[in-house]
Amino acid sequence: MKSIVIDPITRLEGHGKIHLFINDDGELANCYFQVPELRGFEKFCQGRPVEELARITTRICGVCPDAHHMASAKAADAVYGVTIPSAARKLRELVYNAFYAGDHTTHFYALGGPDFVCGPDAPKAERNILGVIAKVGLDAGKKVIAQRARGQRVIEIIGGKKVHPVTAIPGGMSKRVTKEEQQEIIKIGEEMVEFAKFTIQVLNDVVLANKAYLEMILSDSYAHQTYNMGLVDANNHVTFYDGKVRVTAPDGTEHAKYEAKDYLQYVEERVEPYSYLKYPYLKKVGWKGFVDGMDSGVYKATPLARLNVADGMATPLAHAEYERYFETLTGDRSGKTPVNSTLATHWARVVELMFACEATLEQAKDDEINSDHILEPPTGIVGEGVGIVEAPRGTLTHHYKTDQNGIVTEANLIVGTTNNNAPITMSIKRAAEGLIKKGTTITDGILNRIEMAFRAYDPCFGCATHSLPGEMPLEIIIHSAESGEVIEVAKRQC
Amino acid sequence: MLKPFLILCLGNEVLSDDAFGPTIAGILNTTQRDCEQVEVIFAPVAGFGLLDLLNGRDKVLLIDSIVTGGVPPGTLHFFPMGTLTPSRNLTTSHQMSLPTALELGRQLGYQMPEHIDVLAVEVADVTTLNESMTGQVSAAIEPALESVDQWLDLQTGKDVYVNREAPTTVK
Repeated sequence: MKSIVIDPITRLEGHGKIHLFINDDGELANCYFQVPELRGFEKFCQGRPVEELARITTRICGVCPDAHHMASAKAADAVYGVTIPSAARKLRELVYNAFYAGDHTTHFYALGGPDFVCGPDAPKAERNILGVIAKVGLDAGKKVIAQRARGQRVIEIIGGKKVHPVTAIPGGMSKRVTKEEQQEIIKIGEEMVEFAKFTIQVLNDVVLANKAYLEMILSDSYAHQTYNMGLVDANNHVTFYDGKVRVTAPDGTEHAKYEAKDYLQYVEERVEPYSYLKYPYLKKVGWKGFVDGMDSGVYKATPLARLNVADGMATPLAHAEYERYFETLTGDRSGKTPVNSTLATHWARVVELMFACEATLEQAKDDEINSDHILEPPTGIVGEGVGIVEAPRGTLTHHYKTDQNGIVTEANLIVGTTNNNAPITMSIKRAAEGLIKKGTTITDGILNRIEMAFRAYDPCFGCATHSLPGEMPLEIIIHSAESGEVIEVAKRQC
Repeated sequence: MLKPFLILCLGNEVLSDDAFGPTIAGILNTTQRDCEQVEVIFAPVAGFGLLDLLNGRDKVLLIDSIVTGGVPPGTLHFFPMGTLTPSRNLTTSHQMSLPTALELGRQLGYQMPEHIDVLAVEVADVTTLNESMTGQVSAAIEPALESVDQWLDLQTGKDVYVNREAPTTVK
């Protein structure tokens, strides 16, 4: 058997690798995905006041600071057993939707978009946001920048700081919103909705109008029948800040629906000897390996998964796009038939972008956000709490235990991407199966195709493995499993 | 009015050696004298965030961490203008690399800096959540401050920092 190691040395840490094991017949026997992950989180949290974590955990990830801020604040609310005032909840939800509007915009245009707008076979130098702008026009670039600034402005107003919000505290919020600020957010919301309409048009004109792209999205090479996970509101509509976790099976039926505090009854984390990354799976289904199907506990938690678990979107334009998405990809506009094409995640993200923009506008118009009653100071302590939000990259769980003084004794996190470790591994294997055979010369094109298999997940491993289309440093080492002898080395950007 | 010279320190203050940038920023901000020309910023950002910070500046020194594996931790690397540096927060941002950010800024009509140099420290650990840097990287702080002084002297033509002796050579 031969072993092929693809080494994505993003940020040049040098220890993230993809291992492909090729048997003597030249077929792919197995695949392991190893990536750098931040260590020492639990120890780092121990001994700190739980209310500090909402500010500190924003530093875990420069990409999803708002998600960590909110999940941590919700967990701290639970530790103190406090129900936050309605106005505080609305403010948190509003700023979180604005964050989503900016984040999904960035991903679509800068990371995911190049694969489609420029094309999967476009030269590496064109597969970035500059290539996207070259294709859709400079005006689009200006719109993207303006949209990102809108999201940041709302975070600055409500969250207190542009990049790392600080205002969600146990019991509510520490900063109220003035009438003038509310008017500014309403205007921003209106502009956001117009931008989302523009993005749907870009999707239509550049991606969906191209038959080859649609065929690629629907191809079996990028499909997986796994369980899906995401937060839903009382109407089973997609929600990002709060709700119940809903899990649906590969056939679309409901597997579970539970509150954050019960997550350990449904999710278990598997440790593999070759990696310090954990592989969460559904406890009641069980771990059967990296395989698809109803009997495998593998699940994904992505924009695509969130649409699969929901019965619709809570805002009109997003719901219309939701129906068009499902009708195009499954023939069933109700959404009851799940979409299993990994590459459709990019389209699902655009549906969610529209929802985030509409929700920002809708919630900004609610005068309750001007209320002075935004904090319910804790008076007791429970000593344990779980906070779950939907991070853009998947369901994010913060779980803390404290002593009677609120000092953290234990902490556990399941970050968005960690949920997707197993399906990402499966996607890489599927892509590699079709690309690498006995004697295959590893080309840059092959590396690009393998990259695409996991790019749709927007993987975010401890803020360590963000990569750009065609720019991820990759190293493949092919060697004999028996002797360890290196047979071939293929490198890119390293 | 933006100050024309920017010392932009990147990194993460709770990620072991990635705290090098913010540590340097903290020291510079307590010793800076010429506030009219030079601004020191610590920013845990990359990609689009760089665009905002670079817009309107003339000359920029970026301070970051790097893992090349070819030299001992604590070694300082200086990447002069024109080098596409592979430092941590510049090449693999979630959104776009520094060259892409600069080109995007230019295309959008932003005033991008004419001159950007990068000073990066070889790090030992950037995956453990910890508020302390390793000893080797901590030892590189003083030499890095000297390099910053030299860079500023070269770019501005005058000594803009106090509390340290003026350097005599440029590394």
